[in-house]
Amino acid sequence: MAHHLRLIIGVLALTLLATAPAFAQQPASAGRIKVVSGTVYLVRAGAQTTAQAGQVVYQADVLRTGSDGRIGVTLKDDTRVSLGPASEVHLDRFSYSPAEGQLALALKVVRGVVAYVSGRIAKLAPDSVHIETPTAILGVRGTTLAVRVDGV
Amino acid sequence: MLAIAAAACSHSHSSRTAPDRNGRTVVTLLPDPDSGAVGAASVSNAAGSVELTRARASTTINGNAAPTPVKTLSESETRQLFNAAFSMLPMAPQHFTLHFQFNSDELTSESRALLPQVLNAAKGRPIPEVLIIGHTDRVGSATTNIALGLRRAGMIRKQLIDIGLDSSLVEVVSHGEADLLVKTADEVPEPLNRRVEITVR
Repeated sequence: MAHHLRLIIGVLALTLLATAPAFAQQPASAGRIKVVSGTVYLVRAGAQTTAQAGQVVYQADVLRTGSDGRIGVTLKDDTRVSLGPASEVHLDRFSYSPAEGQLALALKVVRGVVAYVSGRIAKLAPDSVHIETPTAILGVRGTTLAVRVDGV
Repeated sequence: MLAIAAAACSHSHSSRTAPDRNGRTVVTLLPDPDSGAVGAASVSNAAGSVELTRARASTTINGNAAPTPVKTLSESETRQLFNAAFSMLPMAPQHFTLHFQFNSDELTSESRALLPQVLNAAKGRPIPEVLIIGHTDRVGSATTNIALGLRRAGMIRKQLIDIGLDSSLVEVVSHGEADLLVKTADEVPEPLNRRVEITVR
């Protein structure tokens, strides 16, 4: 009986998701800030606030560090991204719903020094991962990259 | 080889006095911090493209020029360039895969024994999160399998909370038959694909 109830609730939830794209567009969280040190900011819809460990990040968020700041984030597909001082990274796209075939990760490294360890999206659909800098586009076939953008 | 690394290193100093409008990008492929595995990456722009395929393989893009030919950086050059970011990588996520007894919602005894380990993994982290993903084989429609995966994941969630996991840390999802452990044709029963994956981040 309990099984049936859960099944019904699950199906109901899925039906809601499938039939109400307006709700689905409400941003799902992309990941979480795990470590911070020094001055770090989260920029959301143009508003800059001090970033804190434990905070959720969403698609379209911007991570920015001051000259003494560093930050590490883990995304929902296990991707890990960390920034050194005086750095800025835009989380332009994040979508991790394998059941719906929606896999996308787009990061823009605007300046500074950044480490990236790929997650499940790169494993399931390597062509869905895009990392760009002001002068280059990176294609990732798994594991770990470091990027440094100076003089912008 | 050294010239490129040296230029990249000194650049952050010189850029303060004489900003380079076009900027400079250095990209280096590194071994995975946990497994040591080396993947691959391509670096391209309108002027050209290179492939990074070895540990510490590196290329530099000056302004809009093509990526320079691939050089291998030394460990100390790599550290000097990137350690400020690398040292802040969060802990690697931990994964647990639970299997069910044949045609049953009961976990195998080996899988049941993993549940306390999941709890401990979560307790050992500064900002713990536990993601429970239900998976199915390809018997049945994709839609019913999403519901089935969700139900299995929900059962495991309850068992973890029963042994003391904080429910606010837990998220439950289903990938249905979209993320198979063993690739099969549609409608093929495969016990290894009927599983629940737990990620502790």
